[in-house]
Amino acid sequence: MPPRSRQPERRPVRPVTITAVVDPVAALSSENLDDNLYLYDTNKAAGSTGFGTPALRSRVRKGDTLLWNVLPLECETYVALADIEIDPQIAEPTRKVYPGTDIVFWTAEVKQDLTEPIPYRLSFLLGIVNTPFTPTARPTLAGPAAEGKEGR
Amino acid sequence: MAQQHGIIVLFDVENALRTRSLDGNTYWFDNMKFLGSAGVGTEELVTIVPGTYFLDGSQATEQVLNWLPAALGSIPPTVPRNYLAEQARAADRRALEELASFNAEGGATEAEVKQLQQRVSKRARKPVGGRGLTPTKLLDVTGKATSSPDAYNYPAPVITDITGQAVTEKIIYPAQYGSPDMIYDGWYWAATVDTSRPGVYPYTVHVQLHELVERNDELVWESVDLTCESSLKITSDPKRNGFTGAGLGVLPLPPVPAAG
Amino acid sequence: MKDRVSIVVMVDAVGALSERTLHNGNLSLVDDSTAGSQHQGTPDLVTAVVPGQVVQWTPIHIDVQTPVEIQAIEFLSGLPVPSPADLAAAYPAESAVPVPGAVPPYPVEPAVLAAGAVPTGVDATSSNGHENHDLLVWEGVVPYDMTPGVPYRYRLSLKLHEGPNSVLHIDSPALLRV
Repeated sequence: MPPRSRQPERRPVRPVTITAVVDPVAALSSENLDDNLYLYDTNKAAGSTGFGTPALRSRVRKGDTLLWNVLPLECETYVALADIEIDPQIAEPTRKVYPGTDIVFWTAEVKQDLTEPIPYRLSFLLGIVNTPFTPTARPTLAGPAAEGKEGR
Repeated sequence: MAQQHGIIVLFDVENALRTRSLDGNTYWFDNMKFLGSAGVGTEELVTIVPGTYFLDGSQATEQVLNWLPAALGSIPPTVPRNYLAEQARAADRRALEELASFNAEGGATEAEVKQLQQRVSKRARKPVGGRGLTPTKLLDVTGKATSSPDAYNYPAPVITDITGQAVTEKIIYPAQYGSPDMIYDGWYWAATVDTSRPGVYPYTVHVQLHELVERNDELVWESVDLTCESSLKITSDPKRNGFTGAGLGVLPLPPVPAAG
Repeated sequence: MKDRVSIVVMVDAVGALSERTLHNGNLSLVDDSTAGSQHQGTPDLVTAVVPGQVVQWTPIHIDVQTPVEIQAIEFLSGLPVPSPADLAAAYPAESAVPVPGAVPPYPVEPAVLAAGAVPTGVDATSSNGHENHDLLVWEGVVPYDMTPGVPYRYRLSLKLHEGPNSVLHIDSPALLRV
Protein backbone atom coordinates (compact mmCIF):
# COMPACT_ATOMS: atom_id res chain seq x y z
CA MET A 1 0.00 0.00 0.00
CA PRO A 2 1.54 3.39 -1.00
CA PRO A 3 2.59 5.65 1.88
CA ARG A 4 0.00 8.29 2.72
CA SER A 5 2.28 11.26 2.18
CA ARG A 6 2.57 10.45 -1.51
CA GLN A 7 -1.14 9.93 -2.07
CA PRO A 8 -2.92 12.78 -0.31
CA GLU A 9 -6.00 12.53 -2.53
CA ARG A 10 -8.23 9.48 -2.50
CA ARG A 11 -7.77 7.76 -5.82
CA PRO A 12 -11.07 7.07 -7.59
CA VAL A 13 -12.05 3.42 -7.57
CA ARG A 14 -13.89 3.93 -10.81
CA PRO A 15 -11.68 3.75 -13.92
CA VAL A 16 -11.30 6.78 -16.15
CA THR A 17 -13.25 5.72 -19.22
CA ILE A 18 -12.28 7.12 -22.60
CA THR A 19 -15.08 6.59 -25.11
CA ALA A 20 -14.58 6.86 -28.86
CA VAL A 21 -17.82 7.71 -30.67
CA VAL A 22 -17.45 6.75 -34.34
CA ASP A 23 -19.60 7.08 -37.46
CA PRO A 24 -18.26 4.03 -39.31
CA VAL A 25 -20.39 4.43 -42.45
CA ALA A 26 -19.29 8.04 -42.92
CA ALA A 27 -15.68 7.11 -42.21
CA LEU A 28 -15.73 4.27 -44.76
CA SER A 29 -17.38 6.29 -47.51
CA SER A 30 -15.36 9.48 -47.08
CA GLU A 31 -12.12 7.73 -46.09
CA ASN A 32 -11.84 10.31 -43.36
CA LEU A 33 -11.88 8.94 -39.85
CA ASP A 34 -10.85 12.23 -38.17
CA ASP A 35 -14.06 13.96 -39.28
CA ASN A 36 -16.14 11.13 -37.89
CA LEU A 37 -14.42 10.43 -34.58
CA TYR A 38 -15.42 12.09 -31.31
CA LEU A 39 -13.56 11.31 -28.07
CA TYR A 40 -14.79 11.88 -24.52
CA ASP A 41 -13.68 10.81 -21.05
CA THR A 42 -15.20 10.74 -17.59
CA ASN A 43 -12.65 13.08 -16.05
CA LYS A 44 -13.97 16.46 -17.09
CA ALA A 45 -14.17 17.51 -13.47
CA ALA A 46 -10.42 16.87 -13.11
CA GLY A 47 -9.62 19.00 -16.16
CA SER A 48 -9.79 16.86 -19.30
CA THR A 49 -10.21 18.93 -22.49
CA GLY A 50 -10.78 18.44 -26.20
CA PHE A 51 -14.12 16.68 -25.80
CA GLY A 52 -15.78 15.78 -29.06
CA THR A 53 -12.59 15.84 -31.12
CA PRO A 54 -10.05 13.18 -32.07
CA ALA A 55 -7.50 15.10 -29.94
CA LEU A 56 -8.88 14.49 -26.47
CA ARG A 57 -6.56 15.42 -23.63
CA SER A 58 -7.29 13.24 -20.60
CA ARG A 59 -6.18 14.37 -17.16
CA VAL A 60 -4.83 11.34 -15.33
CA ARG A 61 -2.50 10.43 -12.48
CA LYS A 62 -0.25 7.57 -11.60
CA GLY A 63 -2.33 4.63 -10.44
CA ASP A 64 -5.47 5.54 -12.37
CA THR A 65 -7.07 2.71 -14.28
CA LEU A 66 -7.93 3.70 -17.85
CA LEU A 67 -10.63 2.00 -19.90
CA TRP A 68 -11.15 2.62 -23.60
CA ASN A 69 -14.40 1.66 -25.35
CA VAL A 70 -16.28 2.45 -28.55
CA LEU A 71 -19.78 3.68 -29.38
CA PRO A 72 -20.80 3.37 -33.06
CA LEU A 73 -23.38 5.82 -34.39
CA GLU A 74 -25.01 3.06 -36.40
CA CYS A 75 -25.74 0.54 -33.67
CA GLU A 76 -25.72 -2.48 -35.96
CA THR A 77 -22.36 -1.67 -37.58
CA TYR A 78 -19.22 -3.22 -36.19
CA VAL A 79 -16.54 -0.93 -34.80
CA ALA A 80 -13.76 -2.03 -32.48
CA LEU A 81 -10.52 -0.64 -31.15
CA ALA A 82 -7.85 -2.65 -32.92
CA ASP A 83 -4.84 -1.29 -31.07
CA ILE A 84 -3.58 1.38 -28.70
CA GLU A 85 0.03 2.50 -29.16
CA ILE A 86 1.49 4.35 -26.21
CA ASP A 87 4.86 4.58 -24.51
CA PRO A 88 4.96 1.35 -22.47
CA GLN A 89 6.60 3.18 -19.58
CA ILE A 90 3.40 5.19 -19.22
CA ALA A 91 0.86 2.42 -19.78
CA GLU A 92 0.51 -1.01 -21.36
CA PRO A 93 -3.06 -1.40 -22.56
CA THR A 94 -4.47 -4.91 -22.75
CA ARG A 95 -7.35 -5.99 -24.95
CA LYS A 96 -10.38 -7.53 -23.30
CA VAL A 97 -13.94 -8.40 -24.16
CA TYR A 98 -17.04 -7.98 -22.04
CA PRO A 99 -17.42 -11.57 -20.80
CA GLY A 100 -19.64 -13.66 -23.04
CA THR A 101 -19.57 -11.13 -25.91
CA ASP A 102 -17.22 -10.15 -28.71
CA ILE A 103 -17.38 -6.48 -27.77
CA VAL A 104 -13.85 -5.23 -27.20
CA PHE A 105 -12.51 -2.83 -24.58
CA TRP A 106 -8.98 -2.02 -23.47
CA THR A 107 -7.64 -1.30 -19.99
CA ALA A 108 -4.35 -0.03 -18.63
CA GLU A 109 -2.93 1.36 -15.44
CA VAL A 110 -1.10 4.68 -15.53
CA LYS A 111 2.37 3.72 -14.35
CA GLN A 112 3.85 7.17 -13.74
CA ASP A 113 2.82 10.69 -12.94
CA LEU A 114 2.94 12.66 -16.18
CA THR A 115 5.18 15.70 -16.36
CA GLU A 116 4.28 16.46 -19.97
CA PRO A 117 1.42 15.41 -22.28
CA ILE A 118 1.93 11.98 -23.80
CA PRO A 119 0.30 11.49 -27.22
CA TYR A 120 -0.89 8.02 -28.10
CA ARG A 121 -2.36 6.37 -31.17
CA LEU A 122 -5.70 4.58 -31.53
CA SER A 123 -6.59 2.36 -34.47
CA PHE A 124 -10.05 1.04 -35.32
CA LEU A 125 -11.63 -1.81 -37.22
CA LEU A 126 -14.63 -0.54 -39.19
CA GLY A 127 -17.33 -2.68 -40.76
CA ILE A 128 -15.83 -5.79 -42.31
CA VAL A 129 -12.58 -4.19 -43.47
CA ASN A 130 -9.60 -6.20 -42.24
CA THR A 131 -7.11 -3.32 -42.17
CA PRO A 132 -7.41 -0.97 -39.20
CA PHE A 133 -7.99 2.74 -39.69
CA THR A 134 -5.92 5.29 -37.79
CA PRO A 135 -6.91 8.93 -37.34
CA THR A 136 -4.35 11.65 -38.04
CA ALA A 137 -4.95 13.63 -34.86
CA ARG A 138 -3.66 12.13 -31.63
CA PRO A 139 -5.27 12.03 -28.22
CA THR A 140 -3.05 12.61 -25.20
CA LEU A 141 -2.73 11.74 -21.55
CA ALA A 142 -1.71 14.65 -19.34
CA GLY A 143 -0.92 15.12 -15.68
CA PRO A 144 -1.63 18.09 -13.45
CA ALA A 145 1.92 19.41 -13.89
CA ALA A 146 1.26 20.02 -17.60
CA GLU A 147 -1.35 22.59 -16.68
CA GLY A 148 1.00 24.44 -14.34
CA LYS A 149 -1.07 23.58 -11.27
CA GLU A 150 0.10 21.56 -8.29
CA GLY A 151 -1.96 18.47 -7.56
CA ARG A 152 -3.64 18.77 -4.20
CA MET B 1 -35.66 5.30 -49.71
CA ALA B 2 -34.46 7.78 -47.14
CA GLN B 3 -32.77 6.30 -44.13
CA GLN B 4 -34.13 6.42 -40.65
CA HIS B 5 -32.31 8.97 -38.54
CA GLY B 6 -30.49 7.76 -35.46
CA ILE B 7 -30.06 10.40 -32.77
CA ILE B 8 -27.69 9.28 -30.02
CA VAL B 9 -27.54 11.18 -26.75
CA LEU B 10 -24.46 10.53 -24.61
CA PHE B 11 -24.74 11.54 -20.96
CA ASP B 12 -21.85 12.12 -18.59
CA VAL B 13 -23.83 10.46 -15.81
CA GLU B 14 -21.35 10.91 -13.00
CA ASN B 15 -21.13 14.67 -13.50
CA ALA B 16 -24.84 14.99 -14.19
CA LEU B 17 -25.66 13.32 -10.87
CA ARG B 18 -23.11 15.51 -9.12
CA THR B 19 -24.44 18.79 -10.55
CA ARG B 20 -28.03 17.54 -10.83
CA SER B 21 -28.10 18.93 -14.37
CA LEU B 22 -27.54 17.76 -17.91
CA ASP B 23 -26.09 21.17 -18.90
CA GLY B 24 -22.50 20.59 -19.89
CA ASN B 25 -22.99 16.84 -19.52
CA THR B 26 -24.81 15.95 -22.71
CA TYR B 27 -23.37 15.20 -26.15
CA TRP B 28 -25.65 14.79 -29.17
CA PHE B 29 -25.04 12.81 -32.35
CA ASP B 30 -26.91 11.93 -35.48
CA ASN B 31 -25.86 10.31 -38.75
CA MET B 32 -26.96 13.14 -41.02
CA LYS B 33 -23.92 15.39 -40.97
CA PHE B 34 -23.44 14.81 -44.68
CA LEU B 35 -26.92 16.14 -45.39
CA GLY B 36 -26.58 19.22 -43.22
CA SER B 37 -26.88 18.42 -39.51
CA ALA B 38 -24.85 20.90 -37.45
CA GLY B 39 -23.14 20.45 -34.10
CA VAL B 40 -22.72 16.68 -34.20
CA GLY B 41 -20.75 15.63 -31.13
CA THR B 42 -21.54 18.78 -29.17
CA GLU B 43 -24.29 20.02 -26.88
CA GLU B 44 -25.92 22.00 -29.67
CA LEU B 45 -27.10 19.62 -32.32
CA VAL B 46 -29.47 20.72 -35.05
CA THR B 47 -30.67 17.60 -36.85
CA ILE B 48 -31.48 18.08 -40.51
CA VAL B 49 -34.68 16.42 -41.68
CA PRO B 50 -34.69 16.71 -45.48
CA GLY B 51 -38.29 16.23 -46.47
CA THR B 52 -39.43 15.70 -50.00
CA TYR B 53 -42.73 16.21 -51.74
CA PHE B 54 -44.26 15.02 -54.96
CA LEU B 55 -45.17 17.51 -57.64
CA ASP B 56 -48.78 17.38 -56.54
CA GLY B 57 -47.69 18.72 -53.16
CA SER B 58 -48.12 15.57 -51.11
CA GLN B 59 -45.36 14.45 -48.75
CA ALA B 60 -43.12 11.91 -50.42
CA THR B 61 -40.41 10.31 -48.26
CA GLU B 62 -41.38 9.40 -44.74
CA GLN B 63 -38.71 10.57 -42.32
CA VAL B 64 -38.35 8.64 -39.10
CA LEU B 65 -36.29 9.66 -36.07
CA ASN B 66 -34.99 7.16 -33.46
CA TRP B 67 -33.41 8.15 -30.16
CA LEU B 68 -30.81 6.06 -28.34
CA PRO B 69 -29.52 7.20 -24.91
CA ALA B 70 -26.09 6.11 -23.69
CA ALA B 71 -24.03 6.72 -20.55
CA LEU B 72 -20.42 7.86 -20.74
CA GLY B 73 -18.31 5.61 -18.60
CA SER B 74 -20.71 2.69 -18.71
CA ILE B 75 -20.77 -0.56 -20.55
CA PRO B 76 -21.69 0.56 -24.10
CA PRO B 77 -25.25 0.04 -25.40
CA THR B 78 -23.87 -2.34 -28.05
CA VAL B 79 -23.56 -4.90 -25.28
CA PRO B 80 -26.96 -6.61 -25.13
CA ARG B 81 -29.15 -5.59 -22.21
CA ASN B 82 -29.76 -9.08 -20.98
CA TYR B 83 -25.97 -9.31 -20.69
CA LEU B 84 -26.12 -7.75 -17.24
CA ALA B 85 -28.65 -10.29 -16.06
CA GLU B 86 -26.59 -13.07 -17.62
CA GLN B 87 -23.46 -11.92 -15.88
CA ALA B 88 -25.27 -11.77 -12.57
CA ARG B 89 -26.59 -15.29 -13.04
CA ALA B 90 -23.16 -16.56 -14.06
CA ALA B 91 -21.64 -15.04 -10.93
CA ASP B 92 -24.29 -16.75 -8.81
CA ARG B 93 -23.64 -20.07 -10.49
CA ARG B 94 -19.94 -19.87 -9.79
CA ALA B 95 -20.62 -18.95 -6.19
CA LEU B 96 -22.94 -21.93 -5.79
CA GLU B 97 -20.33 -24.22 -7.27
CA GLU B 98 -17.78 -22.92 -4.88
CA LEU B 99 -20.17 -23.38 -1.98
CA ALA B 100 -20.72 -26.95 -3.04
CA SER B 101 -16.99 -27.56 -3.14
CA PHE B 102 -16.63 -26.20 0.42
CA ASN B 103 -19.14 -28.75 1.67
CA ALA B 104 -17.29 -31.52 -0.11
CA GLU B 105 -14.06 -30.46 1.51
CA GLY B 106 -15.66 -30.49 4.92
CA GLY B 107 -16.28 -26.81 5.61
CA ALA B 108 -14.59 -23.54 4.64
CA THR B 109 -12.29 -21.12 6.34
CA GLU B 110 -13.45 -17.67 7.27
CA ALA B 111 -11.28 -16.18 4.54
CA GLU B 112 -12.86 -18.39 1.92
CA VAL B 113 -16.34 -17.44 3.02
CA LYS B 114 -15.45 -13.78 2.88
CA GLN B 115 -14.11 -14.21 -0.61
CA LEU B 116 -17.31 -15.90 -1.61
CA GLN B 117 -19.37 -13.06 -0.16
CA GLN B 118 -17.44 -10.61 -2.28
CA ARG B 119 -17.97 -12.74 -5.36
CA VAL B 120 -21.71 -12.84 -4.79
CA SER B 121 -21.58 -9.04 -4.54
CA LYS B 122 -24.05 -6.61 -3.22
CA ARG B 123 -27.59 -6.27 -4.36
CA ALA B 124 -29.36 -3.02 -4.71
CA ARG B 125 -32.99 -2.72 -3.84
CA LYS B 126 -35.47 -0.81 -5.88
CA PRO B 127 -37.36 1.92 -4.08
CA VAL B 128 -40.85 1.18 -2.81
CA GLY B 129 -43.41 2.39 -5.30
CA GLY B 130 -42.85 4.42 -8.42
CA ARG B 131 -40.47 3.69 -11.24
CA GLY B 132 -37.33 1.91 -10.39
CA LEU B 133 -35.05 -0.87 -11.42
CA THR B 134 -35.68 -4.44 -10.51
CA PRO B 135 -33.36 -5.73 -7.80
CA THR B 136 -30.10 -6.45 -9.51
CA LYS B 137 -26.56 -7.25 -8.74
CA LEU B 138 -24.03 -4.52 -9.03
CA LEU B 139 -21.72 -4.82 -11.98
CA ASP B 140 -18.61 -2.79 -12.54
CA VAL B 141 -17.75 -1.14 -15.84
CA THR B 142 -15.95 -4.22 -17.15
CA GLY B 143 -19.03 -6.39 -16.66
CA LYS B 144 -17.89 -8.22 -13.53
CA ALA B 145 -19.95 -8.51 -10.39
CA THR B 146 -18.69 -6.13 -7.75
CA SER B 147 -19.20 -5.49 -4.08
CA SER B 148 -17.90 -1.95 -4.26
CA PRO B 149 -20.65 0.66 -4.44
CA ASP B 150 -18.14 3.24 -5.71
CA ALA B 151 -17.38 1.70 -9.07
CA TYR B 152 -20.72 0.37 -10.22
CA ASN B 153 -21.78 0.50 -13.82
CA TYR B 154 -24.37 3.18 -14.34
CA PRO B 155 -27.60 1.71 -15.65
CA ALA B 156 -28.61 2.98 -19.06
CA PRO B 157 -30.36 6.35 -18.91
CA VAL B 158 -34.02 6.07 -19.85
CA ILE B 159 -35.90 8.54 -22.01
CA THR B 160 -39.28 9.09 -20.42
CA ASP B 161 -40.78 11.72 -22.71
CA ILE B 162 -40.17 14.07 -25.64
CA THR B 163 -41.84 17.48 -25.55
CA GLY B 164 -41.33 21.02 -26.77
CA GLN B 165 -42.19 23.12 -29.76
CA ALA B 166 -41.55 20.38 -32.30
CA VAL B 167 -44.20 18.28 -30.55
CA THR B 168 -46.77 20.95 -29.73
CA GLU B 169 -46.68 22.20 -33.29
CA LYS B 170 -47.10 18.62 -34.50
CA ILE B 171 -43.88 18.56 -36.45
CA ILE B 172 -42.99 15.23 -34.83
CA TYR B 173 -45.19 12.51 -33.39
CA PRO B 174 -42.99 10.76 -30.81
CA ALA B 175 -43.94 7.54 -29.08
CA GLN B 176 -42.35 4.54 -27.42
CA TYR B 177 -42.16 1.45 -29.54
CA GLY B 178 -41.52 -2.15 -28.68
CA SER B 179 -38.63 -3.87 -30.37
CA PRO B 180 -37.20 -7.35 -30.17
CA ASP B 181 -33.77 -5.78 -30.69
CA MET B 182 -31.67 -6.46 -27.58
CA ILE B 183 -29.81 -3.20 -27.96
CA TYR B 184 -32.91 -1.20 -27.21
CA ASP B 185 -33.99 -3.62 -24.52
CA GLY B 186 -37.48 -3.84 -25.92
CA TRP B 187 -38.44 -0.16 -25.85
CA TYR B 188 -37.23 2.83 -27.75
CA TRP B 189 -38.46 6.27 -28.71
CA ALA B 190 -39.16 7.06 -32.34
CA ALA B 191 -41.11 9.70 -34.21
CA THR B 192 -42.42 10.31 -37.68
CA VAL B 193 -41.96 13.83 -39.04
CA ASP B 194 -44.32 16.10 -40.88
CA THR B 195 -41.98 17.87 -43.27
CA SER B 196 -44.53 20.17 -44.86
CA ARG B 197 -43.57 23.16 -42.69
CA PRO B 198 -39.87 23.98 -43.08
CA GLY B 199 -38.14 25.68 -40.17
CA VAL B 200 -36.09 25.08 -37.04
CA TYR B 201 -38.00 23.50 -34.15
CA PRO B 202 -36.56 22.87 -30.67
CA TYR B 203 -37.56 19.88 -28.56
CA THR B 204 -36.90 18.66 -25.04
CA VAL B 205 -35.91 15.13 -24.03
CA HIS B 206 -36.82 13.99 -20.52
CA VAL B 207 -34.28 11.58 -19.12
CA GLN B 208 -34.25 9.42 -16.01
CA LEU B 209 -30.87 8.60 -14.49
CA HIS B 210 -30.42 6.18 -11.61
CA GLU B 211 -28.21 6.73 -8.62
CA LEU B 212 -27.09 4.20 -6.06
CA VAL B 213 -27.77 5.52 -2.59
CA GLU B 214 -27.22 4.01 0.82
CA ARG B 215 -30.29 4.14 3.05
CA ASN B 216 -30.70 2.33 6.35
CA ASP B 217 -27.69 0.16 5.67
CA GLU B 218 -28.84 -1.05 2.30
CA LEU B 219 -28.25 0.08 -1.24
CA VAL B 220 -31.18 1.53 -3.11
CA TRP B 221 -31.57 2.78 -6.67
CA GLU B 222 -33.09 6.22 -6.79
CA SER B 223 -34.21 7.87 -9.96
CA VAL B 224 -33.20 11.38 -10.95
CA ASP B 225 -35.26 13.15 -13.60
CA LEU B 226 -33.53 15.71 -15.79
CA THR B 227 -34.08 17.35 -19.19
CA CYS B 228 -31.96 18.34 -22.17
CA GLU B 229 -32.66 20.10 -25.47
CA SER B 230 -31.99 19.80 -29.16
CA SER B 231 -33.57 21.01 -32.44
CA LEU B 232 -34.75 19.82 -35.79
CA LYS B 233 -34.23 21.70 -39.02
CA ILE B 234 -36.98 20.75 -41.44
CA THR B 235 -36.46 21.35 -45.14
CA SER B 236 -38.57 20.29 -48.04
CA ASP B 237 -37.64 19.89 -51.67
CA PRO B 238 -39.56 18.57 -54.65
CA LYS B 239 -39.08 15.09 -55.96
CA ARG B 240 -37.97 15.06 -59.55
CA ASN B 241 -37.59 12.34 -62.08
CA GLY B 242 -34.04 11.03 -62.16
CA PHE B 243 -34.06 10.56 -65.95
CA THR B 244 -35.68 13.82 -67.02
CA GLY B 245 -35.13 16.18 -64.12
CA ALA B 246 -38.80 17.03 -64.19
CA GLY B 247 -41.76 14.68 -64.62
CA LEU B 248 -42.32 11.20 -65.95
CA GLY B 249 -40.88 10.49 -69.40
CA VAL B 250 -39.81 7.71 -71.69
CA LEU B 251 -36.85 5.57 -70.59
CA PRO B 252 -33.71 6.84 -72.36
CA LEU B 253 -32.89 3.60 -74.17
CA PRO B 254 -30.10 3.68 -76.75
CA PRO B 255 -30.98 2.90 -80.38
CA VAL B 256 -28.76 -0.17 -80.18
CA PRO B 257 -28.19 -1.80 -76.81
CA ALA B 258 -24.71 -2.89 -75.73
CA ALA B 259 -23.82 -6.47 -76.62
CA GLY B 260 -24.73 -8.67 -73.67
CA MET C 1 -50.62 -6.43 -68.44
CA LYS C 2 -49.44 -4.59 -65.34
CA ASP C 3 -49.25 -0.80 -65.60
CA ARG C 4 -46.18 -0.66 -63.49
CA VAL C 5 -43.12 -2.82 -62.81
CA SER C 6 -41.21 -2.21 -59.63
CA ILE C 7 -37.50 -3.08 -59.35
CA VAL C 8 -36.31 -3.14 -55.76
CA VAL C 9 -32.61 -2.48 -55.20
CA MET C 10 -31.49 -4.07 -51.91
CA VAL C 11 -28.06 -3.15 -50.61
CA ASP C 12 -25.94 -4.19 -47.65
CA ALA C 13 -24.31 -0.78 -47.32
CA VAL C 14 -21.69 -1.69 -44.73
CA GLY C 15 -20.65 -4.77 -46.72
CA ALA C 16 -20.50 -2.78 -49.93
CA LEU C 17 -18.48 0.05 -48.37
CA SER C 18 -16.13 -2.34 -46.59
CA GLU C 19 -15.44 -4.51 -49.64
CA ARG C 20 -15.88 -1.64 -52.14
CA THR C 21 -18.04 -3.75 -54.38
CA LEU C 22 -21.69 -4.42 -55.04
CA HIS C 23 -20.84 -8.05 -55.77
CA ASN C 24 -20.22 -10.69 -53.11
CA GLY C 25 -23.84 -10.66 -52.08
CA ASN C 26 -23.94 -6.98 -51.21
CA LEU C 27 -26.55 -6.19 -53.88
CA SER C 28 -29.77 -7.95 -54.73
CA LEU C 29 -32.24 -6.87 -57.43
CA VAL C 30 -35.81 -8.12 -57.39
CA ASP C 31 -38.77 -7.12 -59.54
CA ASP C 32 -42.50 -7.84 -59.59
CA SER C 33 -42.92 -8.29 -63.32
CA THR C 34 -45.29 -11.10 -64.32
CA ALA C 35 -43.82 -11.47 -67.79
CA GLY C 36 -40.90 -13.76 -66.95
CA SER C 37 -37.90 -11.97 -65.42
CA GLN C 38 -34.69 -13.90 -64.83
CA HIS C 39 -32.00 -14.00 -62.17
CA GLN C 40 -34.18 -12.57 -59.44
CA GLY C 41 -32.24 -11.66 -56.31
CA THR C 42 -28.92 -11.10 -58.06
CA PRO C 43 -27.11 -8.16 -59.69
CA ASP C 44 -27.78 -9.87 -63.06
CA LEU C 45 -31.54 -9.35 -62.98
CA VAL C 46 -33.17 -9.21 -66.42
CA THR C 47 -36.56 -7.57 -65.99
CA ALA C 48 -39.25 -8.56 -68.49
CA VAL C 49 -41.17 -5.49 -69.67
CA VAL C 50 -43.88 -4.52 -72.13
CA PRO C 51 -44.09 -1.17 -73.97
CA GLY C 52 -46.24 1.39 -72.19
CA GLN C 53 -45.41 0.08 -68.71
CA VAL C 54 -43.80 2.35 -66.17
CA VAL C 55 -40.65 0.83 -64.69
CA GLN C 56 -39.58 2.20 -61.30
CA TRP C 57 -36.37 1.52 -59.37
CA THR C 58 -36.49 1.85 -55.58
CA PRO C 59 -33.52 1.40 -53.21
CA ILE C 60 -33.92 -0.38 -49.89
CA HIS C 61 -31.14 -0.89 -47.41
CA ILE C 62 -30.65 -3.78 -45.04
CA ASP C 63 -29.63 -1.58 -42.13
CA VAL C 64 -32.30 1.09 -41.94
CA GLN C 65 -29.93 3.71 -40.66
CA THR C 66 -27.42 3.67 -43.50
CA PRO C 67 -28.07 5.84 -46.55
CA VAL C 68 -28.44 4.24 -49.99
CA GLU C 69 -29.64 6.23 -52.97
CA ILE C 70 -29.54 5.72 -56.71
CA GLN C 71 -26.94 8.02 -58.21
CA ALA C 72 -27.64 7.17 -61.86
CA ILE C 73 -29.18 4.66 -64.24
CA GLU C 74 -27.54 4.76 -67.65
CA PHE C 75 -28.45 2.40 -70.45
CA LEU C 76 -25.36 1.06 -72.17
CA SER C 77 -25.15 1.66 -75.88
CA GLY C 78 -23.69 -0.62 -78.53
CA LEU C 79 -22.99 2.43 -80.71
CA PRO C 80 -20.71 5.40 -80.10
CA VAL C 81 -22.77 8.01 -78.26
CA PRO C 82 -23.74 10.98 -80.48
CA SER C 83 -22.70 14.45 -79.37
CA PRO C 84 -25.28 16.68 -77.76
CA ALA C 85 -25.21 18.85 -80.90
CA ASP C 86 -26.23 15.90 -83.11
CA LEU C 87 -28.99 15.02 -80.73
CA ALA C 88 -30.27 18.56 -80.53
CA ALA C 89 -30.58 18.58 -84.30
CA ALA C 90 -32.31 15.20 -84.37
CA TYR C 91 -34.57 15.66 -81.36
CA PRO C 92 -35.59 19.27 -80.75
CA ALA C 93 -36.39 19.30 -77.04
CA GLU C 94 -39.26 21.45 -75.84
CA SER C 95 -39.31 21.16 -72.11
CA ALA C 96 -36.40 18.78 -71.54
CA VAL C 97 -34.27 19.64 -68.53
CA PRO C 98 -30.60 18.56 -68.64
CA VAL C 99 -29.64 16.17 -65.85
CA PRO C 100 -25.93 16.42 -65.07
CA GLY C 101 -23.94 13.33 -65.97
CA ALA C 102 -26.76 11.29 -67.54
CA VAL C 103 -27.54 10.18 -71.11
CA PRO C 104 -28.31 13.18 -73.40
CA PRO C 105 -31.89 14.39 -72.85
CA TYR C 106 -34.76 12.79 -74.75
CA PRO C 107 -38.02 14.54 -75.53
CA VAL C 108 -40.40 14.21 -72.60
CA GLU C 109 -44.10 14.59 -72.11
CA PRO C 110 -44.73 17.89 -70.35
CA ALA C 111 -44.95 17.16 -66.64
CA VAL C 112 -48.04 18.04 -64.65
CA LEU C 113 -46.75 20.46 -62.08
CA ALA C 114 -48.26 21.77 -58.89
CA ALA C 115 -49.63 25.28 -59.34
CA GLY C 116 -46.82 27.80 -59.31
CA ALA C 117 -43.98 25.27 -59.59
CA VAL C 118 -41.56 25.85 -62.44
CA PRO C 119 -39.07 23.32 -63.80
CA THR C 120 -35.70 24.98 -63.52
CA GLY C 121 -32.25 24.10 -64.75
CA VAL C 122 -31.06 23.84 -61.15
CA ASP C 123 -29.44 20.57 -60.14
CA ALA C 124 -32.36 18.33 -59.21
CA THR C 125 -30.51 16.88 -56.22
CA SER C 126 -29.74 20.19 -54.56
CA SER C 127 -31.24 20.44 -51.08
CA ASN C 128 -30.26 23.01 -48.49
CA GLY C 129 -26.82 23.29 -50.05
CA HIS C 130 -26.23 19.53 -49.99
CA GLU C 131 -26.72 16.78 -52.54
CA ASN C 132 -29.73 14.72 -51.63
CA HIS C 133 -30.36 11.90 -54.04
CA ASP C 134 -33.48 10.92 -52.18
CA LEU C 135 -35.08 13.72 -54.22
CA LEU C 136 -34.91 11.71 -57.39
CA VAL C 137 -37.62 9.34 -58.54
CA TRP C 138 -36.23 6.77 -60.93
CA GLU C 139 -39.08 5.77 -63.21
CA GLY C 140 -39.76 5.84 -66.92
CA VAL C 141 -42.08 4.51 -69.59
CA VAL C 142 -40.99 1.56 -71.76
CA PRO C 143 -40.91 2.91 -75.35
CA TYR C 144 -42.75 1.21 -78.21
CA ASP C 145 -39.65 1.12 -80.38
CA MET C 146 -37.74 -1.09 -77.93
CA THR C 147 -36.44 -4.12 -79.83
CA PRO C 148 -38.06 -7.30 -78.48
CA GLY C 149 -35.97 -10.22 -77.22
CA VAL C 150 -32.77 -8.19 -76.79
CA PRO C 151 -31.56 -7.35 -73.26
CA TYR C 152 -30.91 -3.64 -72.79
CA ARG C 153 -28.21 -3.55 -70.13
CA TYR C 154 -27.83 -0.57 -67.84
CA ARG C 155 -25.27 0.77 -65.44
CA LEU C 156 -26.80 1.13 -61.99
CA SER C 157 -24.76 3.54 -59.83
CA LEU C 158 -25.50 3.69 -56.11
CA LYS C 159 -24.44 6.34 -53.67
CA LEU C 160 -23.74 5.13 -50.15
CA HIS C 161 -23.33 8.15 -47.88
CA GLU C 162 -20.81 10.60 -49.43
CA GLY C 163 -17.18 11.04 -50.28
CA PRO C 164 -14.61 9.45 -52.57
CA ASN C 165 -15.61 5.87 -51.81
CA SER C 166 -19.33 6.38 -51.78
CA VAL C 167 -20.36 5.62 -55.38
CA LEU C 168 -20.36 2.02 -56.60
CA HIS C 169 -21.86 0.60 -59.79
CA ILE C 170 -22.66 -2.57 -61.69
CA ASP C 171 -23.26 -3.01 -65.44
CA SER C 172 -25.03 -6.32 -65.43
CA PRO C 173 -28.80 -5.81 -64.98
CA ALA C 174 -31.02 -5.38 -68.03
CA LEU C 175 -34.53 -4.78 -69.32
CA LEU C 176 -35.95 -7.21 -71.86
CA ARG C 177 -39.02 -6.54 -73.99
CA VAL C 178 -41.11 -9.69 -74.29
